Amino acid sequence: MKPASTLSTAFLHPAGQALPEPLLALRRQRGAALVDMPLPTRKTENWKYSSKYLKLTDEMAISLPTAGKAGSALAVPGYKVVFNNGVMMPEASEYPDLEDILIQRFGDLSEAEASELAERLDSTLDNKTVQFAGVNSARFEDGLVIRLKPDAVLDQPLFIIHEVTADASGSAFPRIFVDAGRNSRITLVEEYISHGHEAVMVNAVTEFTLAEGANITNIRLSMDGDNVQHIGATGVLQQRSSRFESHCVGFGGPLRRHDLQVRLEGEGAECKLNGVVVTQGTQHYDNHTSIEHVAARCDSEETYRNIAADKSHAVFNGRIYIHQDAQKSNANMNNKNLLLTTGAEIDTKPELEIYADDVKCAHGATIGQLDEESLFYLVSRGIGRREANVLLTMAFINELVSQIPVEAVRETVQSRLNQFFEKAFQEA
Amino acid sequence: MLSIKNLHASVEGKEILKGINLEIKDGEVHAIMGPNGSGKSTLSQVLAGNDAFEVTSGEVTLNGEDLLEKSTEERARDGVFLAFQYPVEIPGVSNLQFMRTAVNAMRHHNGEPEMNAAEFMKLAREVSKQVDLDPAFLKRGVNEGFSGGEKKRNEIMQALLLQPKLAILDETDSGLDIDALKVVADGVNALRSKDRAILMVTHYQRLLDHIVPDYVHVLAGGRIIKSGGRELALELEERGYGWLGIKDEATAASPAN
Repeated sequence: MKPASTLSTAFLHPAGQALPEPLLALRRQRGAALVDMPLPTRKTENWKYSSKYLKLTDEMAISLPTAGKAGSALAVPGYKVVFNNGVMMPEASEYPDLEDILIQRFGDLSEAEASELAERLDSTLDNKTVQFAGVNSARFEDGLVIRLKPDAVLDQPLFIIHEVTADASGSAFPRIFVDAGRNSRITLVEEYISHGHEAVMVNAVTEFTLAEGANITNIRLSMDGDNVQHIGATGVLQQRSSRFESHCVGFGGPLRRHDLQVRLEGEGAECKLNGVVVTQGTQHYDNHTSIEHVAARCDSEETYRNIAADKSHAVFNGRIYIHQDAQKSNANMNNKNLLLTTGAEIDTKPELEIYADDVKCAHGATIGQLDEESLFYLVSRGIGRREANVLLTMAFINELVSQIPVEAVRETVQSRLNQFFEKAFQEA
Repeated sequence: MLSIKNLHASVEGKEILKGINLEIKDGEVHAIMGPNGSGKSTLSQVLAGNDAFEVTSGEVTLNGEDLLEKSTEERARDGVFLAFQYPVEIPGVSNLQFMRTAVNAMRHHNGEPEMNAAEFMKLAREVSKQVDLDPAFLKRGVNEGFSGGEKKRNEIMQALLLQPKLAILDETDSGLDIDALKVVADGVNALRSKDRAILMVTHYQRLLDHIVPDYVHVLAGGRIIKSGGRELALELEERGYGWLGIKDEATAASPAN
């Protein structure tokens, strides 16, 4: 028998010491806890379908050096913060200096602020199921903390561009923490993109805490290149009457993993989680979501769609956990999957655990192919077969794409989808 | 225009059409009537190019060209239009986007410039009035949540937009009340032209009160067993199919024509 495979300790040695002491201490502590961390295998339940895509080499343990110039080519309709290889680029970033919305690099925090942040980092994620979030905590070299004071409203979306320059093998560990005060409101767009062709790992963690009545819209675009293994996690803690809306759009890669964990801790909180994934070639994408109804009278609505072409592989695992005291919970989960070829694979698994007796909980998962009858109808009107395929495939996700609340993001998504269609459907 | 010779077709190994012969000239309106199961819908689907049906022998030409050799979309671009008996609902594709894509595919084929969204919207609004369909239906998914009558009017609207050479109407009268039937019939009559042929497939003759055919054919057991003028439809209405010696599913005597 082969010895148990554990995460190479090379992954636990962070570079970059330009952080306040409380954050350095946190890193050391998390690193120590991860010595001998087992790497997921086929027998690891939450990595069952994806462990085979994870290929970490010791070269990838090296922190990618920050590229000199970055992010300047990206025009965004709003404020932007650019990260290159996990490190913020102030000269490429543009955001307002406001009294009630503080946007700060981890390195710029005072000792007291850093100490408070260190207490709260990782608090939104279950470290037993999201082991790689711990690796980020042991390794982040920089990070962004966004603090919205009560009633603060950011007037435009804030784009966080996470860019990776893969001129050599290595890894990047971007980290974001958003602390939304009472009745505050923000739209945060995260875009993950890459340049270069060497094998790299991006290990990203974004956390949100929402105080009473806070309202956050988070758009997450996963668009890294085919050389990037991306392991990301998003954690959300919601207090009373807060609202969290998420739009995750993912394009496949050699390994793509996103864990999204939401805890509804205050009465009347609600979350809406939309997800779209497209994969082709031999690409992979795995979404694991978890919604915990802790308090009573919370609503959750989750809609995920996967489209897999060629020999690609998409995975969806949606968990809803309704605690005993979470009476009058209203939870809806819907996952539909479209296989464009017989060689593609999609695995979907809804997991419901309900311990309260007065709840409304519905879930549905389907896997299908393009409808022949619809295809015939379209081509019988003179529409070419390729275009008919595109129309029907787009129809499968149109509802979700059209709900993305920032036009520029919808355009980016559409243009990436067009590239996808270009390859997925060759003209007959 | 359309010439069908000894057409045989089967679905899942079962022969449905057993030797159809039919000639339709420019400007003519033909009605094909017959009991359920006689092969009327199969004939429509085969002409439009549905792969679910296998043509085992015979030939079909449209203006001298072999129709059966062509794909469904090529047939459509050459002017074949099928108004479906049961138009499919396609949520996620707007009716407007669908129709514009179809019209532009046709225009592209004819070497005409594509219509932009605004130009097409103007055209679509006019045509929707012609079939008494609220323009709000343009924004909905294709046939999504439409009533039976609305679906049929949406089919006729597409025919009016695409201006086919040969329009095949498959049970376009089914599921319509009198008012809707009149609207649909008006739309079909607007399609009548000396350059266009219309083939109506129907179980009942009531549509023929509004759209007067030049010829009526009785299809039974996969063959045309009788052909005549419009008076044949009236006779069928009065006497049913029994006097021809057929019942639903029954095999008929020798083909006419």
